[in-house]
Amino acid sequence: MKLYAYCLVEDVGALEATPLGISGAPVRLLEMDEFAVLVSDFNTETVAVSRENALAHAAVVRSVLDRTTPLPFRFGTVVTEQQLRSYISARKPALQTRFALLRGCVEMSVKIIRELSRANSAHAEITSGTTFLQEKQREIRGSEQSAAEAKDISTWLQDQVKALTRDEQVIVRPSEKLVVAAAHLVERAKIPQYKETLAAAREKRSELHFLVSGPWPPYSFANIELEFKSQFRVS
Amino acid sequence: MELSPENPLSAEPEIETSHPEEFVEQLRCVTDSLPSRINIDAEGVEQGLAKLVLTLIEFIRRLLEKQAVRRMEGGDLSPEQIEELGLALMKLEAKLHELKTQFGLTDEDLNLDLGPIGRLI
Repeated sequence: MKLYAYCLVEDVGALEATPLGISGAPVRLLEMDEFAVLVSDFNTETVAVSRENALAHAAVVRSVLDRTTPLPFRFGTVVTEQQLRSYISARKPALQTRFALLRGCVEMSVKIIRELSRANSAHAEITSGTTFLQEKQREIRGSEQSAAEAKDISTWLQDQVKALTRDEQVIVRPSEKLVVAAAHLVERAKIPQYKETLAAAREKRSELHFLVSGPWPPYSFANIELEFKSQFRVS
Repeated sequence: MELSPENPLSAEPEIETSHPEEFVEQLRCVTDSLPSRINIDAEGVEQGLAKLVLTLIEFIRRLLEKQAVRRMEGGDLSPEQIEELGLALMKLEAKLHELKTQFGLTDEDLNLDLGPIGRLI
């Protein structure tokens, strides 16, 4: 019998009104050392990547978020109970360290859109090689400027909230409209202050468009899925 | 601090934005660019192979363009060499465009996520 693993938790007690898991299977708590894992029975080898399954995974992980900070497994983690036990036993110190970082925190997400100031490249017919290279030179300079602006936005955001975050993961995409996607690890007690700080900061940058969301389980900070994947070849 | 049932801070997520449509559109683009599982079928395999090969050629072509521009800026090319190099790269771009059309591929199909560097196109 294989298990679908949702997340690793500590001190969660008994499960209360947990939503149904993947394929409508009931979710149960499997005690392992000082941790516990939310699992459901799973009878096939692979998990279909579907909206329904993704939402089921997210709902189970989120169901314990108001009581503890879970360490989510990667979507699609299917293992045997023995594999889970040996993984946890072998990685106990690393998992303890990870929990120490995440304990009491949630993930907040900030996404920023900016208008790209692309120079108007009227595509007149270019017949000269020199003109072609000059046009490419102009494009390259434009993207370098765009990259510098993107970095400035990312640094600015970091400065606004760094006193309120324990850790962060930031993706900067200089060539995209969605230029910054930041995940902040925030202590639960600091969420109101974090939101207020961001609201004030957003007022100062009217040229940027913001999407602030959360609290979420700390998906961006769990960082256990790759280790797990390499150890058990979970796909 | 762990939340207890008595704790007033809810873990229910909230989403705040003044531009929801814009973010939905952008997030859809991100979703579309996620690597999809390879679906091997007799009809799709040719296009899939063409996509893979043309993506690599596009990557190399862009590197060559950047290198050519750097050399032009560095002043180590004569005007004739610049013209010749530019013409060669222009023809390469046109040829690649032709191949993309032939296989029904768009620019976005040949995009690559280069991690911290950004995306190829």
